[in-house]
Amino acid sequence: MSSDEFRSEMQLLFRQVFGDDAIELQDEMTAADIIGWDSLMHVNLVIAVERHFGIKFATAEISGLKRDGQNVGTFLELVAAKVGRR
Amino acid sequence: MAVGGLEFLVALVVVSAILPALRAVRARQGLLAACSAGLLYSLLPNLISWLTLGVFVLSGYAVGRALRSRPRPALAGSYLLVLVAAFLLLKQYSFLELLLPAPWLDHPVAIVGLSYMLFRQIHFLVDSMQAQIDRPRIWDYLNYQLNPFTLVAGPIQRFQDFCGSWHRLEPVPAERHEILITWLRILLGSIKIAGLAAACLFAHEKIFERMAHYGGPVPPGTAVAQFAALFYLYPLYLYFNFSGYCDIVIGAGALLGLRLPENFDRPYLSRNLLDFWTRWHQTLSFWIRDYLFTPTYKAIAEARPTWAPSLAFACYFLAFLFAGIWHGSTTNFVVFGLIHGVGASVVKLWEMTLVRRRGRAYLRQYLQSRLVRTAAIVLTLHYAGFALLFFPDRLERCLIPLRVVASSLRLAAFG
Repeated sequence: MSSDEFRSEMQLLFRQVFGDDAIELQDEMTAADIIGWDSLMHVNLVIAVERHFGIKFATAEISGLKRDGQNVGTFLELVAAKVGRR
Repeated sequence: MAVGGLEFLVALVVVSAILPALRAVRARQGLLAACSAGLLYSLLPNLISWLTLGVFVLSGYAVGRALRSRPRPALAGSYLLVLVAAFLLLKQYSFLELLLPAPWLDHPVAIVGLSYMLFRQIHFLVDSMQAQIDRPRIWDYLNYQLNPFTLVAGPIQRFQDFCGSWHRLEPVPAERHEILITWLRILLGSIKIAGLAAACLFAHEKIFERMAHYGGPVPPGTAVAQFAALFYLYPLYLYFNFSGYCDIVIGAGALLGLRLPENFDRPYLSRNLLDFWTRWHQTLSFWIRDYLFTPTYKAIAEARPTWAPSLAFACYFLAFLFAGIWHGSTTNFVVFGLIHGVGASVVKLWEMTLVRRRGRAYLRQYLQSRLVRTAAIVLTLHYAGFALLFFPDRLERCLIPLRVVASSLRLAAFG
């Protein structure tokens, strides 16, 4: 899977989970930039990504994504690394 | 020794002067470990408490190592059950009186900070089992659990973050002005605790006692004014006291090389109750989110996707009930947790209703409105304040101000 394909799949997942077709993923975006990205939706997003790519996140990885300094870019990197490691 | 007290500050001045002069990390760690041992010596009342603490902490380390080398959910689950049961027994939770013979609860063990140790231990076990902690050493683990800055009342730091600074143990503020700013933070923390929090508590107690001892009808104006004073004084006391404590330990930790997580971010400016819990006692609420709410909801959503949206509310209730009970062993904390569970559920329901009826674009507009934001902050502040009415004491005592104001208003309305 190319980097562009991966990114567009992730964008589709974001749009499906948050029910918002206007979402355009940018690396520097954080949870504050996407309406409704709270703890509950974060878990929904994680589940959707896990199902779609057939990967698993550890508890510390899930919580790490919500910490200061983390953004969509670091989330995509983590998913890409896991997909690559599969 | 009280954190922020004179003894603590003198010890901090001495240790922060000595520590940078020690060149070897091991020596600096040794100095800090000696401080931990000294603090524990001053806090643990008897030998049985020392022994219990040893078993509690060392068993967590041993099981964590075992789970790291071979993840066994059955072992993790059984150990967690025993650990939580031991914790409930040691903390003498009142509901145990219904289940256990009285002598079981009448024990001399008293361990300060056990609730925080439990949370750190559970995090350590889960992260070890999921290979998120790499070959922990017992020396690191003991200092993680027992270091003087997080021992008594947090913040609840993650083991990986602790090791990040523990393995270097170099003072965080490097420049002279940074050191001064850190000391200023410690001073402000002391002022918050000894001045502001103490004044709020003093006034709260005086007014509360006055309300508790009314023999007859109270003029509605007096009752409402006293109730309002209590309503605002206690949240102020709690904030000044705990955030002041955190200012001191975070500042002191930084002077000695430990970078501790923040615990407060202007909580009384939260726009809803879910936002409130990302700003109030942050390390506790993030722990509950990560190790209780997320796994529970994830398990439900994976097993029964169609049930997940409804059961999400049950997960909120579980998380907030847990947050309430964790704060104390009496019924008032159950009420406190349930009020927060209701508030969080209403917030989520309201958001879902807005999206369903008006769409996401409207929700964005709604959230950006300054008027809505101001109204939401005021509403959240008062809802959180209402929940805190059930925080200071046993339920029957917490209900006294509500009873006084209600009976006074009823009398005024109906004669």
